[in-house]
Amino acid sequence: MGDVGTRILSVEDDERIRTAVKLALEDEGWTVDEAASGEEAIKLFNRASPDVVLIDIMLPGMDGFELCRTLRRHSDVPIVMVTARNDTHDVVAGLEAGADDYLTKPFAPKELSARIRALLRRIRPISPGHAKLVFGDLEIVPDEGKVTRAGQELHLTKTEFRLLCELAQNPGRVFSRESLLDKVWGYDYFGDGRLVDVHVRRLRTKVESDPANPRHVVTVRGLGYRLQS
Amino acid sequence: MTDPAIAATTDPPPDTAHRRLRRTQEWLASIHPRRLGLRTRILLMFALGALILSGFLAAAAYSFARSSVINQRDEAGIEQAYRNAQVAQNELSANNPSAEAAVARLRSLGVARFAINYRESWSASSAKYTSFAIPQEMRTRVITESTPARMITHVDGEPVLIIGIPLTVTDASYFEFVPLDDASEALSSVLLSLLFAGFITTIAGALLGVLIASRAVRPLGDAAQAAKAIAGGMLGTRLAPTDDHDLRILANSFNDMASTLQARVERDARFASDVSHELRSPLMTLAASVEVMKARRDEMPERAQAALDLLVADVARFQGLVEDLLEISRFDAGAIRLNLEDLLVAEFVRQAVAVSSAPTTPVSVTERGERVVIRGDRRRLARVIANLIDNARLHGGGDASITVTEPDGEGEPLGHVWITVADHGPGVPIEERDLVFERFARGAVAGRRSSSDGAGLGLALVDEHVRLHGGRVWVEDRIDGEPGARFVIELPGEEVGV
Repeated sequence: MGDVGTRILSVEDDERIRTAVKLALEDEGWTVDEAASGEEAIKLFNRASPDVVLIDIMLPGMDGFELCRTLRRHSDVPIVMVTARNDTHDVVAGLEAGADDYLTKPFAPKELSARIRALLRRIRPISPGHAKLVFGDLEIVPDEGKVTRAGQELHLTKTEFRLLCELAQNPGRVFSRESLLDKVWGYDYFGDGRLVDVHVRRLRTKVESDPANPRHVVTVRGLGYRLQS
Repeated sequence: MTDPAIAATTDPPPDTAHRRLRRTQEWLASIHPRRLGLRTRILLMFALGALILSGFLAAAAYSFARSSVINQRDEAGIEQAYRNAQVAQNELSANNPSAEAAVARLRSLGVARFAINYRESWSASSAKYTSFAIPQEMRTRVITESTPARMITHVDGEPVLIIGIPLTVTDASYFEFVPLDDASEALSSVLLSLLFAGFITTIAGALLGVLIASRAVRPLGDAAQAAKAIAGGMLGTRLAPTDDHDLRILANSFNDMASTLQARVERDARFASDVSHELRSPLMTLAASVEVMKARRDEMPERAQAALDLLVADVARFQGLVEDLLEISRFDAGAIRLNLEDLLVAEFVRQAVAVSSAPTTPVSVTERGERVVIRGDRRRLARVIANLIDNARLHGGGDASITVTEPDGEGEPLGHVWITVADHGPGVPIEERDLVFERFARGAVAGRRSSSDGAGLGLALVDEHVRLHGGRVWVEDRIDGEPGARFVIELPGEEVGV
């Protein structure tokens, strides 16, 4: 069962799906708020301050991508997107709009709760003595969830932060996509590598001074990613 | 009820004209026992045209040459004959009793072929050219009617011009023979060269026909090629626009047909995709609702539980079917982009089995198989393995086993790897081995293969996915002699870290 008091905002215009998903999520012990449109979701978001937001991409009026971007402007809340298609365009566009994970309709509610649980996990405590990790101009304080570049604080989403911390646990080591999918998202061998790729891209726009020529989060061709000073 | 009498009168009466027409058609058909191709017909028409034309010209040229040669001989011969006739007359007018003197005189002048009729007796220069060589009608004309005449005849098979001149003063007739041998020799060599020229012209006509035919047929070839491309799935193929008015009609109607066809095919493909998309929403509701009910299964009466179990199983099946449909319509739309990465095949297969519907299926890998890396889309290839395991579970009597091996031919550098899923079912008869990979291919297989479960698209997707990875898949008998089928996936791969 999930943490008592965990609130989920479900944004879906199809009333029957919304109701069924709400019933299924409530069985997990979570509180579910419902919104039928993007505009309604934004109003509700400020009032209810949910722990996870579930967004269907196909919404009337403001679509899911735009809602995602709007929420991301002032929140690092974990977002799960629901797409109708799992082709490259929708998935990558959703992730780039700021979603942390995605599901393709029709998904089993078990899958959804597994995804939500993975996003709600706490960051693993880092071994003592490493309260502060320094990579050149980059400083990470895992326990406070704080990252600074050249003394300036950066705003990372929870997933971006977790990804950065995973890479920072073992500086210089190459992490394969699979191991990052497992550690950050809780996926098995068959997770979608695009999750890692898009998140790395998003992370670079924040931690790199020149995201096109990354110095910290570097790609190791054919193997994965590595964090360096 | 229909009146039989009325029914009889409405029958068409036996129509003789109709029958005659049919007989004519049959007769026409018998003239063309084999339909000749357009190319052959054009060629033949050109050859025939050249033959007729050159034959006509040759005939005209020959008759012109012949008459001109003969005329020339004629004039020269007549002039000479009159001179000789004058000589003969002079001799005869000396009141000689016989023509001996005239003959001798002419011989002395070198005249070789002549005959003289004098007082109804004949004198000739030689045994060959005598009065018998002169046709009767000519003799009558010259001797009886006293009219000069000439004609061409044959003496001993040789063409000869005979000129007959009445010598009125002395009641005699002079005949001179002009052989035409050399003239006819010249004419036959003319004829030969004309025939040769005609032959050459006919050949040239045929060659021209070949050239023209191939030019005329070329647009048809283009159209055939385009039609083939369209049949092969390249629906965007069109004929190039042309300035030729006649061909433009063909090209335009061909292109219109192709566009209509393309629109239709795309609409059909879109329909399948749209239907699947529309099914997603209700399925989503079903899946979530069933989940909620499942959590309360224990609170339900027994009969409701049984019904719920059916619902749960079939919602899952429905979901799988819709996903398969979507995937296959993506194939049809050519919209699949593989997410390729290097995969250690053995590790990949073990992982794929672990998440399949039969995670305990044994996997054995050969020593070399452990070192093979393939390039593939791991999630799509995992579907391939899962579908084959499902197939073995549903139709192969369960009890599947998987092997990863190098293809036969050991010691050679490895280019492919085989992933084999073997079962203990009834096997697949040879005539159905291609059919099982068709969409919804239950067909005759359904009779033997048990349940109505998921025959649908599973193996068709396996085939499409494997082909997209540059490999192939087939089914055969187990190689250990036991009953059962084995599905073999062959994928390109290479050995690493030897």
